[in-house]
Amino acid sequence: MSKMTLKTEGDRHVVVTRRFAAPPEAVYRAHTEPKLIQKWLLGPDGWTMPVCVNEARPGGKIRYEWTDDKGGGFHLTGEYLELVPFSRIVHLERMHLPDPTPDNHVETRFEPDGTGTLMTMRMTLPDAETRAAMLGTGMEHGMEASYVRLETMI
Amino acid sequence: MELAEPFEMTQPAVSRHLKVLESAGLIVRRVEGTKRPCRLAPDGIAVIDQWLAMLREALATNYDRLDEVLAAMQPEERKDMP
Repeated sequence: MSKMTLKTEGDRHVVVTRRFAAPPEAVYRAHTEPKLIQKWLLGPDGWTMPVCVNEARPGGKIRYEWTDDKGGGFHLTGEYLELVPFSRIVHLERMHLPDPTPDNHVETRFEPDGTGTLMTMRMTLPDAETRAAMLGTGMEHGMEASYVRLETMI
Repeated sequence: MELAEPFEMTQPAVSRHLKVLESAGLIVRRVEGTKRPCRLAPDGIAVIDQWLAMLREALATNYDRLDEVLAAMQPEERKDMP
């Protein structure tokens, strides 16, 4: 069953949709509560997120640090711009590879879909240099772990 | 200038479009006197496909894991209900 779609929108954006069996409140909480985020926003098997700061309020900080427990790791920082509980999140984020990538502006919407949720995430398509840096990181981590966690740029 | 001729668009507008294509890695421009000749970047489109494929795989893996997290959350929520 194909639950996810991913497509480019114009020159500058990527739009992802995904359906979940749980209601919007649960999906929203899983995106904003550190104890829940640390269970799934991880990428390949073997990676963990020992540091997860998520201040879910306008102006609140985001900081995620990942490690593969073999000396590999990187982190992401961000800031919240808008939050409408259980329905909409707008934030900025950047990966540190270790140089920071240009800011990625992300809007995530959670809409009721029957008894579940339709999530729509609209993010900035990074420029060619950033894509190359991310692919380079993916290949480097890919040697050990099949691919890098890209979610981080989202 | 030459690239703008066939289009009903001002030369600055064409320049802006070219700048977007260049920043996306789809064309390469160089300077020759007052000219800025363009050519298609052969690997640009393939690299975007590769990047999107990596993004898709990373997201799919995370969201499959999120399905399990959500399934584990729901019994707790039902318990909280009257």
